[in-house]
Order: sequence, then structure tokens, then C-alpha cells
Amino acid sequence: MNSSDRHLRFGWWSLFAFLTLGVVLEALHGFKLGWYLDVDVEMRRLMFTLAHAHGTLFALVNIAAGVTLRTVKGFELTRPASLALLWGSVLLPLGFLFGGLVIHDGDPGLGVILVPFGALLVLYGVGSAARTLDKIK
Amino acid sequence: MWVKLFGYLALAWGVTLTATSLLTGSWQSTPPKNRPIKQLTQEYTSSDSCQSCHPGNYASWHASFHRTMTQVASIENVATNMDGLNLSFNGTDYRVERKGPAYFVRSKPAEAPEGAFGPRVQIVLLTGSHNLQIFWTETGEGRTLGQLPFAYVVAEKKWAPMEHTFLVPPGPGQVYQNGDWNVACYNCHVTQGRQRFVSKDKYDSQVSDFGISCEACHSGGREHIEKNRNPLRRFALHWSDGEDKTIANPGRMAGPASSLVCGQCHSIWAFKSPAVEIPWSRGGAQYRPGDKELDSRWVVQPTTTDHPEERAALLKSDPHFMNERFWGDGMVRVTGRELNGVLASPCYQGKKFSCLSCHEMHPAKTDAASLHDWAHSQQMKPEVTTNQSCLQCHPGLKTPTALTAHTHHPAESAGSTCYNCHMPHTTYGLLRAIRSHQISNPSVRESTELGRPNACNLCHLDQPLAWTADRLSAWYGQKSPPLSADDHALSAGVQWLLKGDAEQRLLVAWSMGWAPAQKAAGHDWLYPFLAFELNDPYAAVRFASWKSLQSLPGFSGYDFDYTVADGKQKEAVALTYRKWWFEQRNPNGGYRPETLLEADGSFRQDLLDRMLQERNHRKVYLAE
Repeated sequence: MNSSDRHLRFGWWSLFAFLTLGVVLEALHGFKLGWYLDVDVEMRRLMFTLAHAHGTLFALVNIAAGVTLRTVKGFELTRPASLALLWGSVLLPLGFLFGGLVIHDGDPGLGVILVPFGALLVLYGVGSAARTLDKIK
Repeated sequence: MWVKLFGYLALAWGVTLTATSLLTGSWQSTPPKNRPIKQLTQEYTSSDSCQSCHPGNYASWHASFHRTMTQVASIENVATNMDGLNLSFNGTDYRVERKGPAYFVRSKPAEAPEGAFGPRVQIVLLTGSHNLQIFWTETGEGRTLGQLPFAYVVAEKKWAPMEHTFLVPPGPGQVYQNGDWNVACYNCHVTQGRQRFVSKDKYDSQVSDFGISCEACHSGGREHIEKNRNPLRRFALHWSDGEDKTIANPGRMAGPASSLVCGQCHSIWAFKSPAVEIPWSRGGAQYRPGDKELDSRWVVQPTTTDHPEERAALLKSDPHFMNERFWGDGMVRVTGRELNGVLASPCYQGKKFSCLSCHEMHPAKTDAASLHDWAHSQQMKPEVTTNQSCLQCHPGLKTPTALTAHTHHPAESAGSTCYNCHMPHTTYGLLRAIRSHQISNPSVRESTELGRPNACNLCHLDQPLAWTADRLSAWYGQKSPPLSADDHALSAGVQWLLKGDAEQRLLVAWSMGWAPAQKAAGHDWLYPFLAFELNDPYAAVRFASWKSLQSLPGFSGYDFDYTVADGKQKEAVALTYRKWWFEQRNPNGGYRPETLLEADGSFRQDLLDRMLQERNHRKVYLAE
């Protein structure tokens, strides 16, 4: 599978997964579940919302990467950059999700540790793409 | 091209404005000069900094009446719309008007024309929100406060002169003078208040938080915040469930220290000497939650001998101090001073019992409905609103059989509720009777020797003291004290209502509206006595009588203005009596002579007259 196909497939499946998470969050609102809505679980709500938002966003970033690879002549992502973008797009939103499953008052759960790792990978991937595009005349 | 130029100019403008704001601090508002202000200290950071890490606890505090003990006045937190309000008291007319987000009051002599209203004075601070709301005004003397001499009685949606909300002798008078908030109220109604005396009747008062906020019970939060910025420290604490020594937690303290956290305000205390008041005035209290003593102050217990020098000095300066706050045996008689009762309770001696044995400050459920119920139930733990609060330490009485054997009342009745016998309503405050927090055993002796209505007769209002003495003797071996002929023949409740002093009259008038007492003593005979007390010289007694009357069939929602002059009250008494006589009185009679009623329900006039002649007219002034 080439890089473009990889990012497109990942992007659309990831979009599906995190949009589904969004539907789940709306259902938690709809059914007024205290586990999600009580005042003392504000951190959980924040974490889950961030997971949904970032997961959806990075899915679109991957779709954009796939389309860019197919349509912009001369644009290529190195394998490390491609893998960094994919892995970062998994780790960062999952970090938020895990950080919301178990919370400690105003602190997220330890799973949130995935977020900075994911963030660094995404930054590397997107930064690489920006540099590559810059070199194309 | 022009788009680019426009974009760069807009960006430059935005950056310049933001930088200017940051550098000049123009984003910080200027503190007002006409009222006490919130000013953080080295130690205290205010509740604003607690919410982000402790949202649940913050939410429960925010729903509590501790928070609203003192608030900066605004149209959002005033209990009722005051725009256009006209009030009159003691020869002065007051008019309240709204201007923008604030209320202002003007005054004039009552006989003066409309144009004589003086300048507008802003209402700047509020005390209370649940039972009563009191309004403090600017005075033009720095941050010194004056008072609108009226309180809003929240449940009744009525205004009353301040003096009609205390149990004080009748007569016109301003309850609070200018500066009284800065001298007295701030001690307990704010967090880490600093009086900051400037000159005679002028203060520059500051607080760390208005109302009783997080740091009042948990101590200053600055060190706690600084240390816990480190996530490694925080997660180590999360996972270990260990105690964080950078913040006080009353829930983890031994009983005495935990109770003192509440007792720093909820007690009768005095300064140790005039000298300590100066640093107190400047820097606020030095007591910190977790300390074993109050530092600059001491808790005044009449029955102990601690602090002998301070005690002697106190009684020399105010010989009535004890009398205005305690019954003759040292049991506290005013509300809001629960620690004194707790200290004198046998339960306290084991060092485990504390306020948190029954009350909780941060309930587990933080949805709006649960917090509302919790705040309106005196912040009781839900599992201890029944006998469970006592059974947690007295499990031997758990079974209905054991309970009935102890109480000699059916297990499901009010007579088998621990509180009703061991924490009766013998404390006064906020226009009603409140449970004593000194766990005690009922006795007839407390009534004959001290005048304090006992738990039995506060329920069995219709029974004489001799009836109670017989049962206490038979059930618990209590020796009966000498009793008068009246104590053998006549209802103790009626005697207290007619012969008693103002506090006795109030406690009984209130109890006549208490459902368990109405069930035990019957309610048919209560009407004429409550009607009679609508014209009591003490406003608080009139109020209690009115509210109890409203609880009786046929009088639900009965309207009565307990603040009006004597003539109108006499008229109200007559109307009320007539209403009862023609609408509610049992035409078949059957009223009992021990309740001072003839069989047809009319007063036994000779006895009534004698009781009233023997009434204790001593001036009652309860320092609530």
C-alpha cells in the first residue's frame, strides 16, 4: 500500500471512529448520565471532549495528507514522517480518552501521558510535510 | 495588496492593545473604596483558586449557605427586588431605588415632605440569604459600614425591622450602629477578615473571601497550590490516598481539633485580652484549622475553670455575659454556638465525636437537586438524619425491641427518635427554636430549677410536670424534685407560655407548631393560646406564635403582620380568636382543664389572669 492510500484509509476509519465517539458523548448528554455530567467530573467531560475533537481533527489531517500526496506533484512524506503522523493521530486522542476514564478530582487519569508523546509525533509529521511542500517549486 | 496591508495593520493594532493592557494592568479593576474588599495575602488565595482542581467540593460549597453568609450586594444576589421599596421605622422613612446593577437607599424624617429625602447611600454588602437577609450600606467613612435597619425574612417574603428579628426587649432602637459590621460581624461572617482600624469609627477592612469559604476550614491555600503545581506530587498523592500536609482536612483530624474548625465561629468565645485585639485587627486570626486552641481567643464555657484571669475580666466587664448566652447550668441557649454544646456532651469525651459525625460539608452527590436538599437540611449526612447518627456509636439500641425498651415509646414514633429527647429544641435563633447541640438527658429538675423546658414537655405540651416526673422516675429512676400545685394540675407548656419569660414563651410557641408535639399533645386546644400570643410584647414570640398557628387546620396561610403596633395586634388577636371559636372549635367541647380551658374551650379566666400576673417580665436579650 502506498503512503497516500495508507493515510486516506486511516483518515476515513479514524473519522468514523471519533465521530462515533461524538455520538456516544451526545447520548451521555441525552440520557443525563451522572458519570459524565455531574459537577465533580468536569475533568472527564473535558478529556472526552478533547479526545473526540482531536481524533476527528487528526482524521481530517490524515485525509488531507493523503489527498495532498495524490494531487501535489513532487510531494512525498518520508516513512518516519508518515508513521509519526499516523501514530500521533492515534496516541494523542487516545491519551485524552484514557485520561478521562479514571480521574482524580481536577486531574485526568495517568493515561493522559500519551498526549504529549502523540503531540510530538504529530508535530514532527506535520512539520515534515510543511518543509517538504516548501521545497517544491 | 490592500488586503495584506489591512491584515498587517489589524494584527499590529491587536498586539499593541494586548501588550499595553498587560503592561499597564488596565485589565485589573480598581477596588471600590466604600466597602470592605477582598484582598489576598501571603497565605490566603481565596476560593477562586480551588475550583479548577476540586470542582465537586467547590460546587457543594457554592451551593451552601456558608458561601452566602456575606456577599457583595448586587441585583443578582439580593433576596428580593428592592426597587421602589418604601419602609418606615422609628420615625424615619426609607426609600430604596435601583441604579444600574446596585441599590441605593435614601431616608428622611417620617413627617417630612417627599423632597426631604437625603442623598443616595449605596447598599454594598449582604449578610445571609436563607433565613434572613441583612443589608449594609456605605457611610462615607472609608470602608466602614452602616446598616439598613430592616431585614428581609426570606420564607415569609416580608420586611421586618431588625429589632424584630432578634429576641430582645421591645422598644425602638437601632440594633446595629455604624461600624458594627467592621467590629463584630466580620469576625465570623467572612474568611480571614482584617478589621484594620483607622481612627474612631473608621475602618479599612479587608477579607480573603466574603462568606465562609474553602480556606476558613482548610487554612490558607497558597503553599498547597504551589506544591501541587507539580503533577508528580499530585499523582503520588492520588495513588497513595495519603494525607497532604500542605492543607488542613477536618475530616482527617481527631474529634476535638475537627470540632474546633467549626467552633472558631460556631462557639461563644472572647478575646484573651484587649492587647491581642490589635494584631487581630491588623492581620486577622492567627488560629489555623488543625490547631488545638483558638490562639487570640478562648471558648467560654460557664461550667469549666480554664482561663481564670480571662474569665474574671470578662465577667467584670460584662456581668450579663453568661446569662445572655447560657442557661443556668451552662447549656448554651443561643444558636450558632454549637461547639459549646458539643464540648459539654458526654459523646465528645471519647475524642472521636465531632461535628462531622453528623454533618458533612462536601456531599458525594453534586447534582443540583442533591445539593439543594443537602443545603436545606442543615448539611446533614443523609445516612444520619435518622437514629443512625447515634446508633453508629450506640449499636445496642438498633433493634426496635431494644429501642422501645429504652425510650418507652413505639419504635417508629417521634418519642423513639434520639434527637427529640437528647437534643430538644431549647436553643433560640433566627426567629425559631433550634436543637440544642449538648447531648443531654431530659429531666424535670432542669425545668423547675433553671426554667428550661424539658424534652418531654416540649412534645407533651398538654401534660403537667408531675406527669413527666412520674414517668422519668418509673422508667429511669430519676428522683422527682419538689413540685408546686400548678405543676401537678396544669400543663407545663401552658404555664411556660403564660408565666414564662420571653425565651420560654418562644420555645413553647414554636413547639406548638412542631408536628410531633401536635401529634402527642393534640392540636385542638392550641389555637386560643397561639392567638393570645400574637400580641406578645416580644416580636420574635409573636412571629413564632403566628407560624405555629399557620400549621393548624383552618389557618394555613393565615396572614398576620407581626411587626405592627400593639393596637393592630390586639385587633388581630380578637379576629383570630373569633375565627377559631366559630370555625375550628369543637362544638361538642371536651377540652381538658389541665390545659386551662373549660370544657367548651373558653379560657379558665381566673387561672389565666393569675398566670399572667405571675408572668416573668425580666428583660430577655439573647446575644444571637
